[in-house]
Amino acid sequence: MTRLAQVRMPGARPFAPRVSAFTRPFWDALADGRLVSTRCDDCGTMSFPPRNLCRACWSRQIAWVELASSGRLYSFTRVHVVPRAFAADAPYAIGVVDLDDGGPRLMCRILGEPAASDLDSPVRMLVLHYDDGPLFGARLLESE
Amino acid sequence: MQGSSGGSSGAIRRSAAILGYAAVPVGVYQRAASGQEILEHELATGVVLDAMAMAGLEKRDVDGVVVAHPGDHTRQCYFHTFLTSHLGIRASSSVIQVLGNGMTGGHAFDVALQQVESGLADCVLSVGVHFETGMPTAEHLDYSIRLTGDVDFQTVFGAVPIAWYAMDAQRYLHEHRMPRATLASIAIKNREHARRNPLAQYRGPLTLDEVLQARPIVEPLGLFEVPGRADGAAALVVVSEDLARESGRDYVRVRSRGFEHEGLHQISDRPGDALDYATLRVAASRALADAGVSLNDIDTFQVYAPCTIVEALGTEALGLFPRGHGAPAAQAGDTRYDGRRPVNTCGGCLSRGHPPEVTPLYDLVEAVTQLLGRAQTRQVQGARLALTACELGKYNAALVHVLEACR
Repeated sequence: MTRLAQVRMPGARPFAPRVSAFTRPFWDALADGRLVSTRCDDCGTMSFPPRNLCRACWSRQIAWVELASSGRLYSFTRVHVVPRAFAADAPYAIGVVDLDDGGPRLMCRILGEPAASDLDSPVRMLVLHYDDGPLFGARLLESE
Repeated sequence: MQGSSGGSSGAIRRSAAILGYAAVPVGVYQRAASGQEILEHELATGVVLDAMAMAGLEKRDVDGVVVAHPGDHTRQCYFHTFLTSHLGIRASSSVIQVLGNGMTGGHAFDVALQQVESGLADCVLSVGVHFETGMPTAEHLDYSIRLTGDVDFQTVFGAVPIAWYAMDAQRYLHEHRMPRATLASIAIKNREHARRNPLAQYRGPLTLDEVLQARPIVEPLGLFEVPGRADGAAALVVVSEDLARESGRDYVRVRSRGFEHEGLHQISDRPGDALDYATLRVAASRALADAGVSLNDIDTFQVYAPCTIVEALGTEALGLFPRGHGAPAAQAGDTRYDGRRPVNTCGGCLSRGHPPEVTPLYDLVEAVTQLLGRAQTRQVQGARLALTACELGKYNAALVHVLEACR
């Protein structure tokens, strides 16, 4: 079991996610340093974000599984004109990451200073610890 | 199968036409000086009367009203019935407000079309007004980040709507080893069109240097590669072709429509190619097949494209240019009004302007203007067939119409 690197972030999450009885295992695992999601027991399809059904075959038989802790940067942008809620973070980078071992693909904050030349470069997944709870993120390996 | 005689479903349907249209110049209406406010229904009623006058029809001829949902920022809610009341229309087919993200205006037309084609109505107003400039950008973004992502797993990172297109742009430049200037040249092409369009929001000169030096908004896209804030209002009069023919006026026949939703919201969770806007290709193929025409028969294209990259990828998905050639083709002048593949002759979202809920109505207005030969200095010579396309998400869905001049 791989524990993700932990990063302390200032203040509360700008836009906090809701936590349902179903999604609680995701957020609890993340707080514990693990990135998890759901996989269909019937057809094996991986899902991100976690879903309470399989979108491929509509099975309700899903299981929580641990995801790879590293991946590659598919693309990113740096957002300069930002919502009020994110004013303190501007500008900030977000990107699409393809996790190793076949995915899944997800979108998250990218720490460090990604540049255009960093596409397809390896990233490491992180837990971003805010005052009110965790988010997941990624950082380029070479910037560590 | 001919569009005038039946649909791909095999259902009996009759032919419909656009007999009138009107729009106000895209711009800032809601953020007017205090005490001189312009209200949403004042604009909407104005374009309806102008469009009906063009059609030569009267209030009693209207069977239904389909309104593009005006979004979150108009003061008046339940706008469809409010507007119908302001117009004093007694409707027998339907009065309805439709919503479909950036596709909203396209649905407002499409639902009116379906009512006429099905025989439910002979004349339906398709009308929309979009107001947003009364709200500061950062406050507007607090709302719009909830539109284009999973609120619990993506919005939490501050993904503004155009951030998704920006990530496509970054990837496009990377995969094709393309300088940013090539992609940015699409903004110049659109500005040249807008300079010739009295309905356009931005009509001043613009140089490639200015585009490249502009402050970044969502990297790699700068100020002139993303849409400005805008209000707008537009209306179409959709009638049975019989009624259009009886009018003795020039009109535009609706040859066909095509739709496709890929079953995704923004991005797939499977690694793979994110730059193939496949829904557009599929929807266009359906529309072209139903119309019985090929892509080469289309004289002018209106493609919903809020950013430079979206026009590049949209023209590639349609099959106008090979992958990686959309931006270079625009740079070479191929998509100019006088080029071999005219695209967004109105100036597109970047310069005509982008009041999102009604942008597809403006695109239809431009297509009809071209087909009726009224586009003046940006006229595509001899334009007989036009294709319009709008989308939602990141082309998670596409809605395409093929229109034909009847003059």
